[in-house]
Amino acid sequence: MKKRIWVVIVNILIMLAVLSFVVVYSNLEAKKSTETQIAHFENMTITMEHVTENYLEGEQRVCDVWAHYINSEELTIEEAIDFIRISHVLPTASAHIVYLDTLTGLSTRSKTSDFSVSYKAYDFLNDLSWIHEIGTSINICRSYTNPINGEQSIAFCNYVTLHESGEAKQAILLRVLPISELMEKWVFPQEEFEHAELSIIDADGDYIIKGYSFKNTSFFEFYRSYNQIDASKANEFFKNITSSSGSFKMLNSSKTECIVAHTPFGEAGDWTLLSLMPTKYLNASTQNWLLIGIVSSCLLTLFLFDLIVMIYFNKQLRITAKEAESASKAKTDFLSTMSHDIRTPMNAIIGLTTISEKNIDDKKIVSENLRKISLASNHLLTLINDILDISKVESGKLNLVPQTFSIVETVENLMNLSQPMIKEKNIDFSFHINRMEKEYLHADQLRLNQIYINLLSNAIKYTEPGGKVSVDMKEEESNKEGYVKLTYIVSDTGIGMSPEFMAHLYQSFSRQTDSRVNSIQGTGLGLAITKQMVDLMQGTIECQSEQGKGTTFTVVLDIPVAEHQRAEMKLDELEVLIVDDDEILLETAKDTLESLGLVVAQAGSGLEALGMIKHREETGKNYDIVILDLKMPDMDGVETIRRIREEISTNVPILLISAYSWSDVEEQAKEAGVNGFLSKPLFRSTLYDKISEVLGKETESTELENDYSDLEGLNILVAEDNEINWEIISTLLSMYGITTERAENGRITVEKIKEAKDGQYTLVFMDIQMPEMNGLDATRAIRKLDNKWAANVPIIAMTADAFAENVAECLNAGMNGHIAKPIDIKLVMKEIRRIKEKSK
Amino acid sequence: MKKLLYVAVGLLSMASLASCVSKNNDETFTPTLDKEMRCDIKVVGDYSNFEALEAEFDLFNEYYPNVRLTYQKVDNYNNSLGTVLESNDKPNIFCSSPSMMGNEKYSNIISHMEDLSDPALKFNFDCLRSGLINKDGSGKVYMVPIFSRTYGMLVNNDLFKKENINVPEKWSDLLSACTSFASKSYNPIMGYTKDKKPSSGLMNVIAYPQFVAELAKNPDALAKANNLDPSAGEYMRNSLTLVKNLVDGGAINVSKCDEIGDNYEKVLLRFFEGDVPMMVCNGDTVSGAKKREAKSEAYQANPFNYSFYPIPVTDKGGYFIDSPSLEFSVNKDCENLDMTNEFMRFLLRTKELQNMASLKGLIPSTKSTSFDAVYAPFGKVPSDRTISPEVIGVKDQLATQIRLAAYKVGKGELSIDEAVKQYGSLE
Repeated sequence: MKKRIWVVIVNILIMLAVLSFVVVYSNLEAKKSTETQIAHFENMTITMEHVTENYLEGEQRVCDVWAHYINSEELTIEEAIDFIRISHVLPTASAHIVYLDTLTGLSTRSKTSDFSVSYKAYDFLNDLSWIHEIGTSINICRSYTNPINGEQSIAFCNYVTLHESGEAKQAILLRVLPISELMEKWVFPQEEFEHAELSIIDADGDYIIKGYSFKNTSFFEFYRSYNQIDASKANEFFKNITSSSGSFKMLNSSKTECIVAHTPFGEAGDWTLLSLMPTKYLNASTQNWLLIGIVSSCLLTLFLFDLIVMIYFNKQLRITAKEAESASKAKTDFLSTMSHDIRTPMNAIIGLTTISEKNIDDKKIVSENLRKISLASNHLLTLINDILDISKVESGKLNLVPQTFSIVETVENLMNLSQPMIKEKNIDFSFHINRMEKEYLHADQLRLNQIYINLLSNAIKYTEPGGKVSVDMKEEESNKEGYVKLTYIVSDTGIGMSPEFMAHLYQSFSRQTDSRVNSIQGTGLGLAITKQMVDLMQGTIECQSEQGKGTTFTVVLDIPVAEHQRAEMKLDELEVLIVDDDEILLETAKDTLESLGLVVAQAGSGLEALGMIKHREETGKNYDIVILDLKMPDMDGVETIRRIREEISTNVPILLISAYSWSDVEEQAKEAGVNGFLSKPLFRSTLYDKISEVLGKETESTELENDYSDLEGLNILVAEDNEINWEIISTLLSMYGITTERAENGRITVEKIKEAKDGQYTLVFMDIQMPEMNGLDATRAIRKLDNKWAANVPIIAMTADAFAENVAECLNAGMNGHIAKPIDIKLVMKEIRRIKEKSK
Repeated sequence: MKKLLYVAVGLLSMASLASCVSKNNDETFTPTLDKEMRCDIKVVGDYSNFEALEAEFDLFNEYYPNVRLTYQKVDNYNNSLGTVLESNDKPNIFCSSPSMMGNEKYSNIISHMEDLSDPALKFNFDCLRSGLINKDGSGKVYMVPIFSRTYGMLVNNDLFKKENINVPEKWSDLLSACTSFASKSYNPIMGYTKDKKPSSGLMNVIAYPQFVAELAKNPDALAKANNLDPSAGEYMRNSLTLVKNLVDGGAINVSKCDEIGDNYEKVLLRFFEGDVPMMVCNGDTVSGAKKREAKSEAYQANPFNYSFYPIPVTDKGGYFIDSPSLEFSVNKDCENLDMTNEFMRFLLRTKELQNMASLKGLIPSTKSTSFDAVYAPFGKVPSDRTISPEVIGVKDQLATQIRLAAYKVGKGELSIDEAVKQYGSLE
């Protein structure tokens, strides 16, 4: 927040600095322009002074001519007036002649018949020192009210001598012109000075002629009224105005700044012409203000734009930071809580290992447990890969590796992985399958496992102890040829999900929280990975959930059917009694068994089964085989077996089925007389194999892919610096009749290849990180060998560097393939076969 | 009866003054004409300059920027005004005075005056003190008061303080103060004595309020005085005695007063010399005081505090003669009459009239009156001592007689008895 304020402040300061510069620059320019205009204005004022002076001189000359004539002709006042009347040219002009002693006389014009005129009340004729000899100067009085017509006028004056009855009398001749006459001529020719006004003042500042904007009776008084001036400097200032040309600024009556140009006027120089104009009409600063306005607008726009962009980016940054923080928190949670996805198979491995240790002498149990441990280990490895490749998942770059697999094994694996948790939480668990005819499918088994396990383990995890979890799997005909539509439905009576959570159900690191399950640990990756997997497999995943009631996930996938399927499974037309309280299971099992060629009878409980078997016994038509569910109400499977064996003297083979781990009841069941165990769900192949086994019938193995006898006798060079890894790979390969030689580092590997005879090694398994010379350099060195065989010997990377970029690096170095550690011997064998077949 | 009339007049005057307190925001000016109208409005008057009015021009221009208003001084005003009104350059508004009413000499001027009471013009006189509004016999109003003037004396407060003398509030105090100042070589009371014409002359300013006050008490006497009946001269006696006593008692040195060149600027400049305790004059003169401060080197060097007081011509104090100083009339024959009336409507509002009075240094004609510092002592004059000559009907010829009588008695040209006898024929 503080930083943002600082950024804003700095921006504003920069704007102010730029604006200040523009303003200062503009002002300087405006000042220059104004100075130029003021100088121009002063010059124009001087010009106007010449114009005015010429005009006044012209008018004065007329007065002079009249005075000369009157004096030379010794006229009476009436004669003088008559003469002037004849001489008048201007209709607005008039003349008055008044005697000096009485200040009364005659006028040339009058509105009435009375032509007498009096100047007694006019102060300007009290002192006549301003009237000079004829022809020597302009003798003009201040503007005054013409006593004859009431108009404001000026008068050009001369002394005249009149003759009355032979006596000479001094008089004053006034050539009177209305002020308006002069005002009409006082127009500046330039349009730029149209607002200028003129006045003429005398040495005391009193107006001789006063323009409109000039106030008071004295210009000095006008100045003092609206402008501050130090009394001690006032006289000097006013003297300067009346004695020289120049200009100054002042405020007028409306407090507007004006420029006043002044220039001495008249021959005596005791008058001054003033021209006044508001400064705003002089300043050509409009453009500057326009410039300032434009610059301001641009800066403001830039500032606002920056601000908006900054706010936008800040918002994005905040969102990103929040996301990063959220991701970081989620990942921290992930690291701290550990992955339940990892713990689940680990739980199976540890649990089965413990069981094996306790039953170390029972080869069958140990073998079975090792098989399950192997399945769980594979899943665990996949999960580790998933976690490591989570970036791939999130970026959608996860690639599928299809292979042929058994759906039966997949489901079995699923059951094995989930059993410990089901048992621990005492979950009422059921797994129904329906018409699962195709056992071998071709898809990425690990990813499919991942989908199924994630959904099932979530269901178990989010269901409270004693709750119910059910799985339904069915095979349907697909729209795609060569595919089956596999539907996998997991329902639970768990905590369910809120609509808010469901909105981001498949986002990474998201988990539904609930006080009832707050102890549940998980990565929050499960559903995200699942969704990615389903999408990748072009399937659909749907979720229906109600908080507090439970959740149902439905995954539908179109999966290619493997080319190789088991041979047709058909049994003799034997009679089978299947016993379970689960009607759905009874129905699906009946279908499956009948598809194997068996005749099926059903019983919903142990007691009913007991009755039916007794009845058959009595009729001598025993069932050929009885299949009993372990968990049934009233009488469970073991008790039913015990009672069958005790109450009915029959040797009918009895198989016990359960959705749960039967290890706990195995001993009791055997004691009761069970002949074999079956895990739910009841696949066709499972039933076929088990029934065949119980009945002692040979079955055909279709696991062609497990036959690697063709690879016996191959010799492989293994570049491996680690003793244990070398031992594992060499031992595993020896199990398939493949011999191996070891090279401890890259350099030795190169030397061994160099020294080898052509075809001595089928291929080289090359570790990458080795002392002296790493696997990549060694490969590059081998590829540069002169010997053609040696240079082209197949090299397969066998390394813990399992990322895609590592694979690419290996291939770029010249290798032919990549196997990640920990190794899956099946993958290794497949890779060897691939190389072998390629070399043919 | 006389006493009753006197009280009634006083109450009427003060009621008009006192009631002025509440109606300050009585009018807001709303332009009624086209604001873009271009025209000229010319006001003519006797004032050499009229800054207070010019300030109002600027304010009016805020509403009508294209109206060009000018003030023009007319030389020899009273004699020229008739000609000016008939000229080619007719003024729109002109200054007038109540003395014009009923005077044959000014009948031509009166004929140009617009009847401002015409309801169609929508003038509102509510803001004006009714005692200042002059109506003719038919109730028509041809002129409206702009300022009020009164008679009194400028008192140098600092000089009184300096000499430890109290400013007099009654006649005996005045005499006592004059004696004290005289003993210290001051000219206690000065004023314009050179010319008998101006009403602001020293003797008239002392005598006139007392004379009017006496006539206000006696309508019969007032009628006689207005009719220049010599018997009314007796009512001048007390007023003339005041003048006589002050001159004879040494409070007024007439020869020293005669040195004052005019009744306006020179009076003020003399006062600003700082050695005159009391300068007798009227409000018109006081209005120029502020400007003359700057013109007086003595005052600039030693400024002092001063106020305008009523002259305490009785033992109860002095009088406040509330009389129009300046009135405006509209020339009904002028061009742009509508805009002229619009300007008058703008002007005839408390705010504008008080603004003008403040700038001019005169008492406003409004009901709401706040005396500024110089006029503050007049704010303390009780209502029964406030007289509006126009209300009681004092006519110009009456004022002329007392002015001439007081002048001649003061100058020693006539005795009091002679002056009393010559009432009605003094010239």
